[in-house]
Amino acid sequence: MSLTPAWSGAFDRSALEEVVGLPLEDVREWAFGGSTGAGVDVAVVDSGVDADHPRVGGLSGGVAFELDPLAELGYVEREGPHEDLVGHGTACAAIIRSIAPDAVLYSVRVLGANLKGRGALLHAGVEWAVEHGMHVANLSLSSKSDAMFGPLHEVADQAYFSGTVLVCAANNLPGPTYPSQYASVVSVAARPGDEELALAYNAHPPVEFGARGIDVDVAWADGGSITATGNSFAAPHVSGMVALMRSKHPWLTPFQVKAVLQAASVNSLAR
Amino acid sequence: MTLAPGVDARLGSCVEATRALFGAAACSIALVDDDGANLRFVASDGAGADEIVGVTIPVSRGIAGWAAMSGQPIAVRDVQTDPRFARDVAESTNYVPTAIYAAPMLDAEGEVLGVASVLDPVVDETSDWTLHVLGTIAGLIAMVTTVTAGETSQDSPPLARLGDDVLRLVEAWRTAEPGGSA
Repeated sequence: MSLTPAWSGAFDRSALEEVVGLPLEDVREWAFGGSTGAGVDVAVVDSGVDADHPRVGGLSGGVAFELDPLAELGYVEREGPHEDLVGHGTACAAIIRSIAPDAVLYSVRVLGANLKGRGALLHAGVEWAVEHGMHVANLSLSSKSDAMFGPLHEVADQAYFSGTVLVCAANNLPGPTYPSQYASVVSVAARPGDEELALAYNAHPPVEFGARGIDVDVAWADGGSITATGNSFAAPHVSGMVALMRSKHPWLTPFQVKAVLQAASVNSLAR
Repeated sequence: MTLAPGVDARLGSCVEATRALFGAAACSIALVDDDGANLRFVASDGAGADEIVGVTIPVSRGIAGWAAMSGQPIAVRDVQTDPRFARDVAESTNYVPTAIYAAPMLDAEGEVLGVASVLDPVVDETSDWTLHVLGTIAGLIAMVTTVTAGETSQDSPPLARLGDDVLRLVEAWRTAEPGGSA
């Protein structure tokens, strides 16, 4: 009996299928070369971000969504600085900063000290990113809630058409998870390797891209760092890459971004 | 959540089997309380098992809380570099692990029920594969956990036998290994 990995198996070196990409010459240089991510707004939709962590290098703004049973929607929106209760968002923000040092980072906290209403807060966070014109939103979290399928799908479509690239971590749980399952987002699974800009395309989606996410040295709570593994850490690598290319080529739409990422993948014949 | 009678024993089989599968120092299951604010350890096997059962931690703390909040299976190679972890959990169990794998347990509607954690697993390498295995097992344990009150093992024999079946498979696999313990 052999066990097949959920998604990362598609990115094993021995299993990586070649794919035909757009006929772009030197696509990686065109997409990433010389870029620092300057001018690109990136939302980290997560547990908050520790702006003072040395690997984060500051934030340009933030908003926290918190449950409030007395509020009309069941939650309230608080603009301004907030802490990262866990370290998850800080880890993601630091990865993006490492790849795109001049990107404009925002923390959108949707995870707090309570698991109730998790899906509604996730939806609110994505909606905030779209309404505030974020160029990229990193979602290293997911929901399996059937009730959230429709609402998250709708806001993911809004993001797609308004120019916010949603980069979502795939999930290694049985069954679909949202929003990573939607065609309108860039979904990412973990792949071994030390190269920050390494990228592979999965010839058999729904999960489309593999990026660094195994044994990654990541920022953590209280100014520290740990070595961690998970699709959560692969997604921000791709968010960083998207920030690089949108800084150089601000006119890129989400579907063009995805085509460039595919062409820039290690298994793309166009590369 | 409140467990139906008999589920405790089944969870005991689950953690025993999962610990054996990963060759881990310990395996535990923590469930989200009714307020959604805390994780309560309800079953454990291995190092620190007696101490951890009954312990409650905020969902915003520790690797288990991290998995519950993000909804994503996660592995951390060295948790001792996280001061919060040492303070919140390890000190209360008298066992301080190096590595922790944690995966969320979800109910049929996709809501987070709890977290399955494995301490110091013996695996060839940290990989997405191991997280996939743990994520799948966490889903099965969630099924065991949500057996409704009044339901007996006769009503749901597959669930009742799940832990024992996994244990048997692990034992068979081990005895087939070169240098196995048979």
